[in-house]
Amino acid sequence: MEMSALIARFDAMVDNALFWLSDHAAFLFDFFRIVLEGLYDGALWLLEQPPFYVVALLAGLLGWRIVGRGFGLGIAAALLACAAMGLWPETMETLALVIAASIIALAISLPLGVLAGLMPRLDRALTPVLDLIQTLPPYIYLLPAIALLGYGPATALVATVIVAMPPAIRLTALGIRQTPREFIELGQATGVTPAQMFWKIRLPFAVPSIMAGINQSLMMAFGMVVIAGIVGSGGLGETIYGAIRTLDIATSIDASIAIVILTMMLDRLTQGAARPRNGART
Amino acid sequence: MEKANTDTAEVLIDCQSVWKVFGDRSGEAIRAITERGLSKQQVLQDYNCVVGVSDATLQVRRGEIFCIMGLSGSGKSTLIRLLNRLIEPSLGKVLVKGQDIATLDAAALRQMRARHIGMVFQSVALLPQRTVLENAAFGLEVQGVSRDERNRAAEAALAKVGLSDWTARYPSELSGGMQQRVGLARALTSDPEIILMDEPFSALDPLIRRQLQDEFRQLTKDLGKSAVFITHDLDEAIRIGDRIAIMKDGVIIQTGTAEEIVMDPADQYVADFVAGISRLHLIKAHSVMIPAAEWQGAVDGLPRCSPEADIDALIGQITETGSDAVAIAEGDAVVGIVTIRNLLSGVRGDAAPAPAAAA
Repeated sequence: MEMSALIARFDAMVDNALFWLSDHAAFLFDFFRIVLEGLYDGALWLLEQPPFYVVALLAGLLGWRIVGRGFGLGIAAALLACAAMGLWPETMETLALVIAASIIALAISLPLGVLAGLMPRLDRALTPVLDLIQTLPPYIYLLPAIALLGYGPATALVATVIVAMPPAIRLTALGIRQTPREFIELGQATGVTPAQMFWKIRLPFAVPSIMAGINQSLMMAFGMVVIAGIVGSGGLGETIYGAIRTLDIATSIDASIAIVILTMMLDRLTQGAARPRNGART
Repeated sequence: MEKANTDTAEVLIDCQSVWKVFGDRSGEAIRAITERGLSKQQVLQDYNCVVGVSDATLQVRRGEIFCIMGLSGSGKSTLIRLLNRLIEPSLGKVLVKGQDIATLDAAALRQMRARHIGMVFQSVALLPQRTVLENAAFGLEVQGVSRDERNRAAEAALAKVGLSDWTARYPSELSGGMQQRVGLARALTSDPEIILMDEPFSALDPLIRRQLQDEFRQLTKDLGKSAVFITHDLDEAIRIGDRIAIMKDGVIIQTGTAEEIVMDPADQYVADFVAGISRLHLIKAHSVMIPAAEWQGAVDGLPRCSPEADIDALIGQITETGSDAVAIAEGDAVVGIVTIRNLLSGVRGDAAPAPAAAA
């Protein structure tokens, strides 16, 4: 009895806190929503300006340049297939969501990861928080977000940003932390300043790890953007959510294929960009 | 090997009774050592602290190559890091160019390291993302020297180590020996007076190692640099060093020229070490000669050598001329005689039977 009363009290407190926030900090969350949706709309506007075949062509050229000719051709054909399935607007919406969410997530997690790599105490404090974020089921983040930001892409973005941050923070911190001992010593013996130690020695060694973190964050963002279809994110996630409710198997599979295409494209492109330039082998 | 006249030269590094104790309770351990004279074993037992370097005193003079020889765990790598304060001493003082480096603030210490003390590592530690030229220019780059100027200096340094054709390559494209040359060039680019060499050639194969040893010695002498050279190989220490300090368990047990150490080892440990060393180029005529009066035969017909001639040269004289002895002459005056018997005991490492009076 005692216990359940305590729990009920806790739940009431959480609810009240959320209400209090939405009542008293509405201007703040309105501001957040405007910024988030502005970023999303901007990304979407850029992607929707050119006709679909131009976007497919540009993506193909980028793939050719970064990964290889076969991949470039494949990605162009795959994007054209998305358009052929009638899912072009949704595909671009999803891409815009991922891009907007990743920009925000990386803008926070890269500096945070660098600090955590340099300050072991911050790292120790962050680790349980990141563990918590990664163990909770991702759609948990949709609920408080929808209460504060309402139905729409802003809520999807916030939840996506939360889910996408941990891998980039962890791998950035790891990369900064694991500079080989002899290079730290080289820096000290050469008389570098702390800033030079970071930019000229620690950061170059951390780049592969940081790029892996960015890649992982993008993948997490994709997963979340689809789940966020429930809260009216728009894009392929919402298409799938609608198809599930009406048991429209064909449409849900089409949308899934489009998601796989987008995911593979960004995964391979970021991995390709992370590969060291010719000659600079480690 | 010309004997460097370093006895009177300015002292660049003066390391005075330096201790380094590692461990959580190193402060207490140091107090116990100074107040009660605790031994290494007792410190380990009572305080769980490891004595890395124990009461090390040495002086490196301008123009000198000073070798520190010891096996792994002898504390030699710790000692060399105390000289540029990569490791803070627990006790004692290190003066570099007369200045106590413990008193330098962070900026002054950076200046000292950047301008006066270069360092070369066993692991080489070339930055893999940079070309050979960029690596060699690194020291000047962090000092804020303009690109043109530092590249010129780096090219000159790379030319000295024979790598002019490799400036645009990446370290991974070079062999181990070439990488270590880049490491040396990097240390030379900033034109420091002192170069600390932390077992730089240990990972190289024997032929390349000998070649680099000779080149290093030549280059250091030509440029008038001073060097502290760490090695676990006594042969290397003898080839390179003007003076050698032998370390064991954190203690410097003997300091001297190669000849002094081979002829007069301080204890059994050093004696065991030098037992296998070839005396041919180490031992000079003045150490093995007997007074001319003890020689029964005629002095006039004997071939002549200077007191600084080594055993190898004396053997050459005797085999060429067919004589039984060599007269050791300083100018026109004969100061001693070396017989075949003396040479044989010299090769074994014994001193002259009757110590030469006017050596």
